[in-house]
Amino acid sequence: MNLTPEQQAVGRRNFLKALAGTPALAGLGVAAAARGPLRGGPVRIGFVGVGGQGGVLLEQLEPAYGEVRAVCDVNPAQLAKAAATLAKTGRPPARQYAEWRDLLQKEDVEAVIVAAPLWMHAEIVTGCLDAGRHVLCEKMMAWDVAGAEQMRDAAARNRRILEIGYQRFYNPMYQAAYDGIVQRGVLGEVYHARLAWHRNGNWRRSGTPPSPDYDPSRWGYPTFEHLLNWRLYWRYSKGLFAELGSHQISVANWFFGAAPEAVAASGGVQRFRDGREVYDHVYAMVDYPQGRTAVFSSIESNEFDGYYEMFMGTKGTLILKGEAEAYLFHEGKAGGPTTVEVSMKGPGPVLEASESRRADAAGAAGGRASVSERVDRLSPYRLEMAAFCSAVRVGTPIACGPERALASTRACVRANEAVAQKTRLAL
Amino acid sequence: MMPSRRALLSMDFGTPVPVADHWIRLQRTAMACRFTILLSGEDAHQVPAAQDELDEVERVEAALTVFREASDLVRLNRRAAAAPVAASPELFALLALCRELHAETEGAFDITSTPLSRCWGFLAREGRLPATEEIEAARALVGMDAVTLDASRRTVRFQRPGVELNLGSIGKGYALRRIGARLQGRGLGHALLSAAGSSVLAIGGRDGGWLIDVRSPQRPDRCLARLRLRNGALGTSGAGEQFVEVGGTRYGHVIDPRTGWPAQGVLSASVVHRDAALADALATAFCVGGPELARRYCATHPQTLALLTPSEGPVRTEVIGAYPGATLLEAAAA
Repeated sequence: MNLTPEQQAVGRRNFLKALAGTPALAGLGVAAAARGPLRGGPVRIGFVGVGGQGGVLLEQLEPAYGEVRAVCDVNPAQLAKAAATLAKTGRPPARQYAEWRDLLQKEDVEAVIVAAPLWMHAEIVTGCLDAGRHVLCEKMMAWDVAGAEQMRDAAARNRRILEIGYQRFYNPMYQAAYDGIVQRGVLGEVYHARLAWHRNGNWRRSGTPPSPDYDPSRWGYPTFEHLLNWRLYWRYSKGLFAELGSHQISVANWFFGAAPEAVAASGGVQRFRDGREVYDHVYAMVDYPQGRTAVFSSIESNEFDGYYEMFMGTKGTLILKGEAEAYLFHEGKAGGPTTVEVSMKGPGPVLEASESRRADAAGAAGGRASVSERVDRLSPYRLEMAAFCSAVRVGTPIACGPERALASTRACVRANEAVAQKTRLAL
Repeated sequence: MMPSRRALLSMDFGTPVPVADHWIRLQRTAMACRFTILLSGEDAHQVPAAQDELDEVERVEAALTVFREASDLVRLNRRAAAAPVAASPELFALLALCRELHAETEGAFDITSTPLSRCWGFLAREGRLPATEEIEAARALVGMDAVTLDASRRTVRFQRPGVELNLGSIGKGYALRRIGARLQGRGLGHALLSAAGSSVLAIGGRDGGWLIDVRSPQRPDRCLARLRLRNGALGTSGAGEQFVEVGGTRYGHVIDPRTGWPAQGVLSASVVHRDAALADALATAFCVGGPELARRYCATHPQTLALLTPSEGPVRTEVIGAYPGATLLEAAAA
């Protein structure tokens, strides 16, 4: 989905105009909704899995909300990285574990952040909940529906909080779009949504084992390559539908206010026939009640389209692109040329004055590099972690929760089955 | 359960401190440059008002530009040599201000200098060294003495053919003055307005004021000055990017209407003043007239701050006068 600069300008302006006078607008410029120490002190937290995603959450956890007591990873190299992150952000070191059960036994943590490979979610999360810990688990919720239901039941049984890491639910832009546009009926009747996540590159990662004698087989990975590339093998992963699609299907569920009824899908290993099992191209048609359909595609051979969610209604089109840009287009109406950008405040000057320049490079400033960013993509993670800690400490509500996460898990698991069976499957 | 935004905002985080760590920047292209209104995140509710007022820029442009066939100014330029032409109250008031500024800047600010800019090729953006006769011919057309303003009839008359008015060195500041006044009328307490970076208007300003750097495209490595600005305007002018180089000498696009030759000696001139239109015009005047003119002007006009950086020698910014809402944090020193 590529818009001309003029279209972008119109779309941004329409988006903000539609929010004018609604409380939704006030949230747009506010990344961290509130700050300050949590009454009762920060939540004592353990991390299980501190690879890519776990590393981001570790970095974005503000010390006022959560105190990192321990980190756990089967890969010592990731533990070293986590230690460096804590040091870099001025936080005290955390004790390190390879086995999550040891962490639970030895550490007086109240909550656990689980960002282990997908196949381990159900076991670890259920274990944590049964041990009386609150859990924030990365998406997708679980490798299969039974595992996800087991997690949900464990949370209910133990009366513990279980949040699933769909950060779009904590993104002020999505909040504003839902409250100010979707809920208010600005789009009219919406029968179709397009969900796209297109990339051009190999999902396979390369790396060396943390030590020559490192043996990942005790963790269930025959070789280090399997641990490194767990996303590419069915035993550990549910592929693109789980890692990318579940984010976007969660948004479709949220905005449609419904769970999917059926899914038809296609896909395969089309480009990277390197021994991987999970598909590198997937396409799904996801049907919702009342004749609504979302079409999702994720490909690894072209990135022109980028990634976005687009809701097409009888009165307008809403596009949420790259988790950072929002556009609204009214059906059959032209708009004006004002652009609106939201950017993080930085320490530098807000403006660089100079004589007028030919190409008008001047006047754009606001801290040079920092201003060119739009909505900070990391701030939703920060909010997510803060809100989770707040939920643990003072019982404020969480944004996603097990039921919502289960709905998208069901659809994504089923989508893979639909590809394999070359058919449309009911949910 | 999805918490509403209200619920998110009201979460119990101990001592809630409303934080807005984002800027909201509204931009529109007008007057051949970019107009920007910068709001802090906590003022997000003012976005619709700011958007409305950006429309005002287009109205001002339609009235004042010489680049649109239908503008009031184009009409006036075409007919005023033949007979007095009635001007709108707004245009007439602005022309009267320009006449006053012309007198107070000893002729350095002159809205009739277009024939000289054309003669030096700067109108076509192709600078060249004209013949002496060409310069003299152009000079003969220039001068506010040839512009008669009749306040009682609100008419403009040129005393000779070939006179042309161009509000390019005051128009952006004037537009900011208009938008600023309207936004304040709508209860906006804090905003930073700018046009092309050369005209800036600060409304309010938290934490001591808006932090602004003055730079020059000629010396991108240096910050000429850093200041905090509250409730005031900053205009900047310089010989900068447009120039013609002849025999090793560089002639910038700002022409001294009194000599007919490009102004020399000033790399960048900035003026802080309450009025955005004046800040804009004075910056041009001081670019032409140099520090001597700036000192004379500031001595007789309190609450005017000028920052002048000479084009020769090491980068050093001279600070002349003062403005109550401006705190100078840094000025380039040799």
